[in-house]
Amino acid sequence: MSAHARARRLIWTRRTVQGLALLLFVVLLAANRPTTGLAPDAPVGVFFDLDPLVMIATWLSTHTLAGASLLGLATIAVTLVFGRVFCGWFCPLGTLHNMVGSLRDQFRRITPRVEGYSRWQRGKYYILAALLLLAVCGANWIGVLDPFSLLYRSLSLTVVPALDVAVGAVANAIYMGDPHLGALHLRDLTEPVYTWWRNQVTATELRVFSGAGFIFLIFMTALALNLVRNRFWCRYLCPLGGLLGAFSIRPLLRLTSDSESCNSCGKCTLSCPAAAQPEKPDQWLGTECFGCWNCVDACKNGSLDFTWHLPTAKTSSGTLDVGKRRLITSLVAGAGGLALMRMTPQAHGKTFNPALIRPPGSRAEREFLQRCVQCGLCMQVCPTAALQPAWEQAGLEGLWSPVLVPAIGYCEFECHACGQVCPTQAIEPLTLDVKKKANIGLAVIDTTRCLPFAYDRECIVCEEHCPIPTKAITFELRDVELRDGSSRTLKFPVVDPDLCTGCGICETKCPFQDLAAIRVTSAGEDRHPDNQPVLPGGNDPYGQDLGY
Amino acid sequence: MPRCDRREFLRNAALATGAIALSDPLIRLARAADDPAQMAIARWDQAALADADLTAAATRLTEAAMSSIGGMTRFVSKGDVVWIKPNIGWNRRPELAANTNPDVVGTLVRLCVEAGAKTVKVGDHPCHPAKQAYRTSGIAAATKAGGGQVVYLDERRFRDMELGGDRLETWPVYTEIAEADLVINVPVVKHHGLTNASLAMKNYMGTIGGQRTAWHQHMDPCLVDITRFMRPRLTVIDAVRVLDAHGPQGGDPGDVTVHGIVAAGTDIVALDAFGSTLLGHDPTAISTLNAAVAAGLGTIDYASLAPVDRVLS
Repeated sequence: MSAHARARRLIWTRRTVQGLALLLFVVLLAANRPTTGLAPDAPVGVFFDLDPLVMIATWLSTHTLAGASLLGLATIAVTLVFGRVFCGWFCPLGTLHNMVGSLRDQFRRITPRVEGYSRWQRGKYYILAALLLLAVCGANWIGVLDPFSLLYRSLSLTVVPALDVAVGAVANAIYMGDPHLGALHLRDLTEPVYTWWRNQVTATELRVFSGAGFIFLIFMTALALNLVRNRFWCRYLCPLGGLLGAFSIRPLLRLTSDSESCNSCGKCTLSCPAAAQPEKPDQWLGTECFGCWNCVDACKNGSLDFTWHLPTAKTSSGTLDVGKRRLITSLVAGAGGLALMRMTPQAHGKTFNPALIRPPGSRAEREFLQRCVQCGLCMQVCPTAALQPAWEQAGLEGLWSPVLVPAIGYCEFECHACGQVCPTQAIEPLTLDVKKKANIGLAVIDTTRCLPFAYDRECIVCEEHCPIPTKAITFELRDVELRDGSSRTLKFPVVDPDLCTGCGICETKCPFQDLAAIRVTSAGEDRHPDNQPVLPGGNDPYGQDLGY
Repeated sequence: MPRCDRREFLRNAALATGAIALSDPLIRLARAADDPAQMAIARWDQAALADADLTAAATRLTEAAMSSIGGMTRFVSKGDVVWIKPNIGWNRRPELAANTNPDVVGTLVRLCVEAGAKTVKVGDHPCHPAKQAYRTSGIAAATKAGGGQVVYLDERRFRDMELGGDRLETWPVYTEIAEADLVINVPVVKHHGLTNASLAMKNYMGTIGGQRTAWHQHMDPCLVDITRFMRPRLTVIDAVRVLDAHGPQGGDPGDVTVHGIVAAGTDIVALDAFGSTLLGHDPTAISTLNAAVAAGLGTIDYASLAPVDRVLS
């Protein structure tokens, strides 16, 4: 079979693989929606296990490796043999870029433009170097730019909620307005679809996330950059692409060209999404090539083919196109970024942000930040949308890491899903029984707002919702004198600091929805021995069996 | 023409008035002999309760209570859309008695289907996430097994409705519930920190939206208003398991007592009064019930309805 014919077949194989990988990504995302409060059955984090950048950065920052993350070694092994086929054949974000690029070429009726190699493509190596330096210093910021983190976060926190809002708005408008023609009701058509959507695709409660617009904007910008250059993100920015490029200096499978038969028509260059210079017989760039086979397919003379080489054989292009001086510059930039992130009292444990409530099982803040890759799996699985992407709460270093916002949602007593799905164990996988007693904060009553304290009114809503079987919120009966001189006995809530876990349902459900009269702060969280206002063991000495 | 003197006229008028006044209760009395009972209490034999299979018991108790008040066909007509409103407030297992017993709900669904209902919907506006609560409570599975439709309420489908109550003029109520031909109120008997007892009237809080936690500031009149608005026709009280303390959510199996009782009837106040006795209260000490009686919603003296009392084993 000629190289050209083989290429045709491989391209269709590649497209199938790309489609299936993207589909798998979306299916696993849907499987991670909140249903039971327990760990989903599907391997929802498997893409992150396969991601060698997550593996290496987490190893650099923590000096430990999670067992499943060793799958990243398989990705590296494949790359050593075939080059960056991960980018060309598998990465769902790369596939989305591919699709946008193809659409652009379909709709733009201008002569095809040569988008040749640019030295700016080294940018991804410098970004990678800066991020790895940060990781070595314990600031795991790779999730901000890692393609899987970026895609998962963008889809789960912005695209799915946006679709949910849109579908719900249309379905509810039709339901409430009930347009009909005789006995034919439009809602009879829309209701089954909407029911399926709510019950099988998204969650039954609408879940939206703070600052989603900005995350969405970044995602859209990444996609729109394909209008500038095909697969702009993958060529210039992607740190995972940079990492895999570094492993593709001498792949076993390399593009070879026959200069005798080549008539320099340039069709291969036009077809190359990676600017890997297939047109220059001796300057093919293995570090850039996605192994997509487009060039071999485009070459009508059969001058191009991928052939096997020993790793000892030098490539024509030689090495990674990265200058020492620039590499040092990027490391310095990384160090500068680190200084910027750490120039706060909070980063040094001098202060504790009361709003920095982490999900149950979260490690101490420094260790947490060493691990969290801002992927959004925990937020996607949280049934009450309590887990939100952090903006200012955890400092720049903790951008988009999960923070529990009790004004929005609370930690459901019978749920421990976040720790089960976290791909890097920034949140440890607690058993349900252990999780029920894990303290993530402490409730405080604002007596200037609380109805019985401030307004002589009955309430008890916080007590009613407190999930602790023996109640961490109880009442104190007190007589109050009303303005007409009569007296009345009211129930005043009291928090038992030994029993309160800081789940936050009291704050979520408090009749004051702007600023609750009972609020949870990070005080008393298990993970920080210095953030403990209450001497433990008043009513509930450690070790006592609470019976639940 | 003989003249009718004043005395004669007054006497005849008094007789006629008396006859008219008496005739209505007499006719009612005559008719009552054929009427089905207004209330029935089905109890599992207390001696056999410890070894009873509560799934089978709950099913048979529900069937017995319903048949004793004339069967489901008394309430459901062919082609009706029925909404069954259990308490599914919490993500808690049936053993903890925070939600209505799933077998009671499942049996009611089946009875409605058998009575010819077109659609039997089951749903509540829970405090915990609906999907988890419906599932953990066992009610989702029981509903499907009985042939009903599980409905997860949509926050955007509450509509402001004219309650025209003493306390509340309007309040958002779930459209689909208000539109149903029949709403069957099926609470579980449990303790409540504010009202002492959470029963059928309190269960209507699962039909409303809005800032409903504000009702706690004036609970009794609010419950009276929503109860009047819902015009209860059939109430079924689940006391298979009763939550005696730390209600309405519970969580400690030690707070649960197995009573093995299901009661059904047309007078929501009478049923709530009966339910409160299972929590050890004198119904006249429950302020919600007193408010309901004052509003003319029913009688607190459930014994006056001569409820059919059946013991099963």
